[in-house]
Amino acid sequence: MDKIRVLIGILGMDQHEVGAIAVSRMFRDAGMEVIYAGRFNLPAMILQMTLEEGVDVIGFSCHSWEYLYYVPELLGLLKEKNLSVPVIVGGSVITPSDADVLTKKGVAAAFGPSAEPDEIIETVKRIAG
Amino acid sequence: MSEHTTRSGISLKQAYTPEDLQGLDYGKDLNNPGSYPYTRGRRSGAGVGWIQRELSGEGEPSRSNEQLKYLIEKGQMGIDVIGDSPTMACLDPDHPFAANAIGTQGVSLCCLQDYRELYKDLPLSSISVSNSIPPAFAIAGLYLVAKENNIPPEKLRGSVVQAPFYCEDCGYSMHMPFPLRLRLTTDSIEFCSREMPRFHSFLEDTYYISEAGLDVVEEMALGFIEMRHVIRALLARGLDIDTFAPRIAILLNCSMDFFEEIAKIRATRRLFAKMMKEDFGAKDPRSLAVVIASHTSGLSLTAQQPVNNIVRGTVQTLALVLSGVQALEISAFDEAYRTPSPESHLIGLRTQQVIDLETNVIKVADPLGGAYFVESLTDQVEKRIWDKVMEIEGLGDPAELSDKGWFKKFFDNAMERYAREIKDGDTKKVGLNIHQIPEHEDTLLKEVAEGKIEPCWDRIQKIKEFKEKRDQDQIKEVLDQVHEKTKSEGENVMFPILKATEAGATMGEIAGMMRLAYGFPYDPHGVIERLGNFATY
Repeated sequence: MDKIRVLIGILGMDQHEVGAIAVSRMFRDAGMEVIYAGRFNLPAMILQMTLEEGVDVIGFSCHSWEYLYYVPELLGLLKEKNLSVPVIVGGSVITPSDADVLTKKGVAAAFGPSAEPDEIIETVKRIAG
Repeated sequence: MSEHTTRSGISLKQAYTPEDLQGLDYGKDLNNPGSYPYTRGRRSGAGVGWIQRELSGEGEPSRSNEQLKYLIEKGQMGIDVIGDSPTMACLDPDHPFAANAIGTQGVSLCCLQDYRELYKDLPLSSISVSNSIPPAFAIAGLYLVAKENNIPPEKLRGSVVQAPFYCEDCGYSMHMPFPLRLRLTTDSIEFCSREMPRFHSFLEDTYYISEAGLDVVEEMALGFIEMRHVIRALLARGLDIDTFAPRIAILLNCSMDFFEEIAKIRATRRLFAKMMKEDFGAKDPRSLAVVIASHTSGLSLTAQQPVNNIVRGTVQTLALVLSGVQALEISAFDEAYRTPSPESHLIGLRTQQVIDLETNVIKVADPLGGAYFVESLTDQVEKRIWDKVMEIEGLGDPAELSDKGWFKKFFDNAMERYAREIKDGDTKKVGLNIHQIPEHEDTLLKEVAEGKIEPCWDRIQKIKEFKEKRDQDQIKEVLDQVHEKTKSEGENVMFPILKATEAGATMGEIAGMMRLAYGFPYDPHGVIERLGNFATY
C-alpha cells in the first residue's frame, strides 16, 4: 500500500508551531508521508496545495481561534472543487463543544488536548482509506 | 528528567551540607543584598516588594483601556500590554491575513489614535508601562501620547521587549531581516537613553523563547547571547556603556522546578554583574545590578483541570518573590485556552497580593541566601549557563547563526524533547499524564476557560476609512522619508518613525517601507501592494 500523504499546516496568523512539528514527527514515525505547509496559510493556499500534492488527509494544528473561521471556509472551497479530502484539526484550544460544532460542519475528526497519539494515528489511517 | 536531577539535568544529592559550600567566598561570590555581584539582590533593603501586574490587552484599544483601568482599580501597580498577532507581526488590521486574529490574543494597535485610546486617562507619569509590542512602535506610541498629555517623556517608566534574535523563530515573527531587527533595537535603545532615561528600553525577553521547552540553562544562555550582541552593537556606535546599561532589564520565565528557578535568577544577577564589569567595563552600580521581571510559565499549565493552574501560578510566584524579582505577572489559569478572562486576571493579581500581604516572605531580603543546597545549585547553574554562552559564541557570529537557522533548529529540538518528556511521563503533569480524570468530571472553571473572544472585524473597515481620509500626499512624503532614512545607516530610524506616526501613517505601512529599504518585500505575505503609486525604489 502507498504511504498515506498528510498535509500539516497552521492557519492565519497563528505562529505556535510546537504542535505541528510534534504531530508531523509522530505521523512520520507511524510510516506516513507529511507535506509540511508550516505557518501562515489561508484556505485558498491550502486548497492549491491539496490540488498540487494530491494529499489523502489535511490536518491543522490549532493554537488560536482563527481555525474556527478558516476551517469552514476551506470545507466550502473543497466542496466547490468536488474534492473529498478529509480535514482533521487538533490543538489545545479545541474544546469538546468546538469539536462538536466542527464535526457537524464536516470536519472528519477534531482532537483536543487530551487526545492520545495512537488515537490520532488510528483515525488518520481509517479516514485516509 | 531523571528522578534525581533538576529539570536541566543537574544531579541532586539527598541532602546538602557545609561541604557543598567549600570554596565559597562570601564577599566575592555572594556579598550582602545590594552589593556587587548582586547574587543576593539588587537592593540592600527588603520589603520593597515588586510591581504586581497582569499581562493585558484584548480587542480594540478602547476595550484594553477598560481592562487596564479595571486591573488598576483592583490594585495592579504597573501595566503590561501585549499586542494581538497581527500587531506583533507589524501588520495592520486590514491586511488579509489579519481578519480572524484581530484583538483575540492581545490588543490591536496600528496607529497613533490607537495608542491614544489605549492610554486614555491612565496615570502615565506615575505608573510603569510595559509593552510586548514591536519595540520602536511601542516607544513611538507611548512617547507621542505622553507629549500630547504634557507628560515629559523623561518621566516615563516601564519597559519594552527587545527580541531581535529569536522573534522570527519563536512565534513573534516581524518578517524582517536580522540587520533591520537589530537596527530597530539599537536605534530605539539609543533614542530612549536620551529622551526617556527612566524607561527600560532594553528588556531582554527570555520568557517567550523558553516556552519552546528550553531548560533554565538554555534559556539564560540564549538571553545572554542576545544581550551581549546588542550591547556590542551599541558600544560600536560609540555609546558609553553607562548611558544605557542602567536601563537593561530581563524578563524571564519561571517554571515548576522550584529551587532551580531560584538558582537561575540568583546566578543570572551574578553573571550579569560580572559580565558588565569585566567584559564591558561598566562603572555605574546601576549598570551592574540588573532589574529582573518575570512571567510565570504558560507552558507549565494544563488544559486539563485548569483550576490546578492557579496552584502552579502560586508556587511559581513564591519562587520569584523569594528570588527578589522587581516585577511579575502570573500566567492566567485559562492560558491554555484564551487570553485572560477577567476572573483569571483577578485571581492572578489576588495571588500576588496574598503572597505579598499575608505571608511575610518579603520582609527579609534573599531569605534563602547561604542555604547549602541553594548556593550549591546557584553555582552549578551559573557555570552551566556561562559554559553554554561560550560554546555558542564559539560557533561563530550569532547573527550568522540566526540567519542560518541554527537557533530555529535549537528551538525545534527543544520542542520535540519537551513533547516527548510529557508523552513518556518523564516530566509529570498532574491531570495531563498522571492523575487524570474523565472529561465529564473536568468541569471546575471550565466554562470561564472556554469563553471566547470574537475577532474585531469592525476594525478592518474602520482602519480602511481612516487610511482613506488622511492627506495622502503627506502620508506619502513621511513614508518616503522612512524609506530613505532607513536606507541610510547613520540615521536613527526613531525620528522618521515618530514623524510618520504623528502624521497618521500606520505601523504596517512604516514597517513595509522599512522592509523595502532592506531589500525585503513590503508585504511578507505577498498579498498587498504598498500604499499608493509611489516612486520606484
